[in-house]
Amino acid sequence: MNLLDFVLFAPAAAFVIALLIPRNNPGLSRMFTLGASLVIFLASLLLIGGVSAAPREFRFVTDFQWIQSPNIRYHIGLDGLSLWLVVLTTMLTPIAALISWTYIDQRVKEFYAFLLLLEFGVIGVFVSLDLFLFFVFWEVSLVPMYFLVGIWGHERRIYAAVKFFLYTMVGSMMMLASMIWLYGKAGSFDYGIILDGLRTGKIALTSTEQLLLFLGFFLAFAIKVPLFPLHTWLPDAHVEAPTAGSVMLASVMLKMGTYGLVRYNLPLFPQASRDSAPWIVSLAIIGIIYGALVAMVQPNMKKLVAYSSVSHLGFVVLGIFSFTQQGLDGAVYQMLNHGVSTGALFILVGYLYERRHSLEISSYGGVATLAPWLSTVFLLTTFASIGLPTLNNFVGEFLVLQGAAKANFSWAVFAAIGVILSACYMLWMYQRAFLGRAGESLAHHMHDLSPREWAAILPLVALMIWMGVYSQSFLPPVSAQNAQILEQTKRNVDFRVSNHAIQELGNVR
Amino acid sequence: MLDTFFFYAFALLTVAGAALAVTMRSAVHCAVWLIASLLGTAGLFLMQQAEFLFAAQIVLYVGGIMVLFLFVIMLVNLEAAARERQMRKRWPIALAGVLLLAAGLARSLEEGIRLPAPRPAPEAAAGNVQQIATVLFGEYLLPFEVASVLLLVAIVGAIVMAQREDAR
Amino acid sequence: MYDKFIPTAADYVRFAPEILLTVFGTLIMLIEAGRKEDQRRPYGILSLIALAGAIYLAFPAYNNAGPAFQGMLIVDGFGTFFRVLCYVAAALAVLCSGQYLSREKADSGEYYSLILFSVVGQGVMVTANELLMVFIGLEISSIATYVLAGFLRDDQRNNESALKYFLLGSFATAFLLYGIAWIYGLTGSTDLSLIRAALGSANPPNVILTGTAAALMFVGLAFKVSAFPFQIWTPDVYQGAPAPVSAFMSAGPKAAAFAILVRIFMTAFEPIAARWEPILWVTALATMVVGNFAALAQVNIKRLLAYSSIAHAGYILVAITAQSQIGISAVMFYLAAYTFMNVGAFAAVTHLAGKDEKYVNIEDLAGLGQRQPVTAALLSVFLLSLIGVPLTGGFFGKFYIFKAALDSNLVWLTVLGLLNSAVAAYYYLRVLVVMYMQDASAEVPAPKPVSGGILVALVGSAVATVILGVFPSVILNFAGKSGTLNP
Repeated sequence: MNLLDFVLFAPAAAFVIALLIPRNNPGLSRMFTLGASLVIFLASLLLIGGVSAAPREFRFVTDFQWIQSPNIRYHIGLDGLSLWLVVLTTMLTPIAALISWTYIDQRVKEFYAFLLLLEFGVIGVFVSLDLFLFFVFWEVSLVPMYFLVGIWGHERRIYAAVKFFLYTMVGSMMMLASMIWLYGKAGSFDYGIILDGLRTGKIALTSTEQLLLFLGFFLAFAIKVPLFPLHTWLPDAHVEAPTAGSVMLASVMLKMGTYGLVRYNLPLFPQASRDSAPWIVSLAIIGIIYGALVAMVQPNMKKLVAYSSVSHLGFVVLGIFSFTQQGLDGAVYQMLNHGVSTGALFILVGYLYERRHSLEISSYGGVATLAPWLSTVFLLTTFASIGLPTLNNFVGEFLVLQGAAKANFSWAVFAAIGVILSACYMLWMYQRAFLGRAGESLAHHMHDLSPREWAAILPLVALMIWMGVYSQSFLPPVSAQNAQILEQTKRNVDFRVSNHAIQELGNVR
Repeated sequence: MLDTFFFYAFALLTVAGAALAVTMRSAVHCAVWLIASLLGTAGLFLMQQAEFLFAAQIVLYVGGIMVLFLFVIMLVNLEAAARERQMRKRWPIALAGVLLLAAGLARSLEEGIRLPAPRPAPEAAAGNVQQIATVLFGEYLLPFEVASVLLLVAIVGAIVMAQREDAR
Repeated sequence: MYDKFIPTAADYVRFAPEILLTVFGTLIMLIEAGRKEDQRRPYGILSLIALAGAIYLAFPAYNNAGPAFQGMLIVDGFGTFFRVLCYVAAALAVLCSGQYLSREKADSGEYYSLILFSVVGQGVMVTANELLMVFIGLEISSIATYVLAGFLRDDQRNNESALKYFLLGSFATAFLLYGIAWIYGLTGSTDLSLIRAALGSANPPNVILTGTAAALMFVGLAFKVSAFPFQIWTPDVYQGAPAPVSAFMSAGPKAAAFAILVRIFMTAFEPIAARWEPILWVTALATMVVGNFAALAQVNIKRLLAYSSIAHAGYILVAITAQSQIGISAVMFYLAAYTFMNVGAFAAVTHLAGKDEKYVNIEDLAGLGQRQPVTAALLSVFLLSLIGVPLTGGFFGKFYIFKAALDSNLVWLTVLGLLNSAVAAYYYLRVLVVMYMQDASAEVPAPKPVSGGILVALVGSAVATVILGVFPSVILNFAGKSGTLNP
């Protein structure tokens, strides 16, 4: 039982306790969830030191047999890649609890319980080092999100929740098939063992096999990311979800997909990854531009932010499949940036919704005169999302573009169009909603940020600036781990090539 | 030769009797044709030199069960049922299904025409009845005993189904 | 040749659970006959005692494993597993029945003795090593179930359900019997090991004839497990029968039928596996597809569960198609998980249906999450398990099945099966949606809080479902050990 076990299982324990809290005491549910998630967050901060010391290795490892046959292990660990994602998750959970304080007024107990269960599932996804365990957490995180959207969402919540569940389910079934096939080859679900086996050639995959397995995993992750054209569930889910649901969905759950690509697809199937990179990058670039264009015409704020997510995550995928150090660093950094800035955007849109009960941009206008602080924070977040220098997204987008340019210059050119478009739609929305003259009816509702609201948004704003100004606090462990992943992909490819050459040599003789 | 003739005669009686038992409209006619079919089966048993089964078939089925059947039919008013057209419009489908199955079976029989040579009937060291007794209470003791549970269940089931609402 | 046969003590030990159940079944009827009008009816308790005793006796039988009564029965790990599973399924059904029967004013001893006799039949089936025993066991189990399906005689749907089940069931049994006759004619034996020896010998009987015989028997068994195209009766019967009986039917008799399907095809007919594998492949796929897609359109929850049980039969057939030891273990594990989740779901329906089963539409569950959080939560566990969400038994069951299929290189069947289970998620989710995301309608009165036997059955099944999902090894190790049918 090390610190990571605690961070993983404390949410599960808190979930059980939250279920035992009496239904008629919503205040206790809120306080308990906030307290518990803060404790978990503080505990997760202690992980940073341990991982940063040696980011290339898995730290805080716990490894024991869970099920004997088939050979399934409870194997968790943390490295430079997963570290920040775990911290992001633990940080956003208390924030999600805070912003739901008054927003959720029905079935409060269940809401907070599901929030904790979600945290458990997501952390589990990021720390699992056994493919099977990973799958278990992957699915477990699905259930609470389904209920969060379906119970506390807006009018079309049921449609959105079911669509979300089914999309993910189809993808994960294909992933499960690939995992079982891989197990048949390796005799183990253990990430390290499989990686080792592939590297040393103990597990031999034909190129067709590798491609099919790659696609099995890729489909599951691409749906989750979501990559164009599999993104259609995302706007629905985002728009219908309650604020906390949108925040957790955008900031954390989408990262499960991109994390999976980096952690599993690249190192396990390097040849297939490299072969299919042009196709995937094309989809990513289409996603970047398409997402931005669709965002531009959205009358609904949440939908706008949702499509901007499609666009932003296209950058992440582009970075990953550029196979360059900068691209990969940028992609991982962009995952975190997107988590912080889009999370903040959803929170701010949620604040507006709580005041006016509308998500239509046209029902606002002139908010800046009524709620100056809210507008200032919103503007800052907008800038961050656009990628203004000294704010966080700039660093990530810059690195991704640099990496893409290194791989193929035209990729960078097309992707840059997305950056320009993002400035258009974000600023236009800001202009329509916040500037101009405030309507009569709006003035009644629009008060400025309350202390509770400040408490939820301030950490994110601070992070936007910190991550933009001094990325060195975050990047080194990520970089180190990415370098290793790149090495792994190269080495696996090299091995196969050299092996091939030897075989041909044998044939000649 | 004579054997073959009798085999086909009995087989025809069995099959035709069964078919008519299903298709006749009057319940009494159905029962009578069922008796014919059972008699055909009894004849087939006799040709296999299974005298005991032959006797049991006639005494139990034809003599006992079918007579009970007829009693019930006479006692219960079945006129309404008789007026109903018994096989609805689905009968061509059913017929097609039966023919298809028959064709399949015939085909498989034709393929496997080289049937194993018939084993000679066991030496009738003791009488047929005695032989059956040895088998039934020796090797097949358990099925014989467990069959009693089957009968018990059937009786309980019959009572449950027959006990009408006025009983409570 | 026929020496005098005197059963030994070991024979009786191996058959003891069924003897005990028969005695108790008869006892209950005797008590009912001598009961005074105002006396209480202790049958539920008696049945539970009998089933608990039978489970207890199954262990000495297993420790004494081996053939019994001149090879008529064989007590092995496989048989013991299914034996105990059928007893457990019956016990869960009995737990649900008490409240149901008093609600419908149909409490009587025959109901319980029929359940016990039905279980006797299933016990005989799963330990049978002889086609005659299989047949007798199947008939005992079936006849008792036919009657149970129509137990509420005054109820039109009950009668229809029973009659339909009876007619089609007898028809299917006739196919089975015809197949047995062919096999006897071809191999001169009804003993599974001897049949196997004859079919696998250097000079086997004509393979087309044996194939036809196997096909005939498959028809009979496919009916019992409601595999395509013999599944048509299932929704009508499950809908019409009393809810606890549907619970029982979908678990005990089905598990037993699968057990003999596996035993017959994996022992006696294994030598001709190449002939029946394609048939099973197609049947498995068609069963999954038909079950899942038909379930999408259902409004009645009992029909929904019936179609879902068809789909699950399809998954199990996938594992049988794999024809391997892990395939058999997967069948065993899946049926165990399936028994708990399905009986659990039916138990919840039993409770919620109300008098005369008025409220059995999915819409009637609206708002259950708030009206009855405990029942809703337990039902959710079963539904999530039926979907196959991790940490439930249903997930591991599916996992082992598809693992077995992939190990046997059934790639396409696996992919299609997995896609099917994604489709299946939709209709189970609909129930969850109604329970948690819709508001209660005024027309449906709030059900009473769940209590008594049904509560025990619900909680017990839910705990078992979760335990199988978190620590599958408890059953899996045993299943893995017992997956070899041909030592």
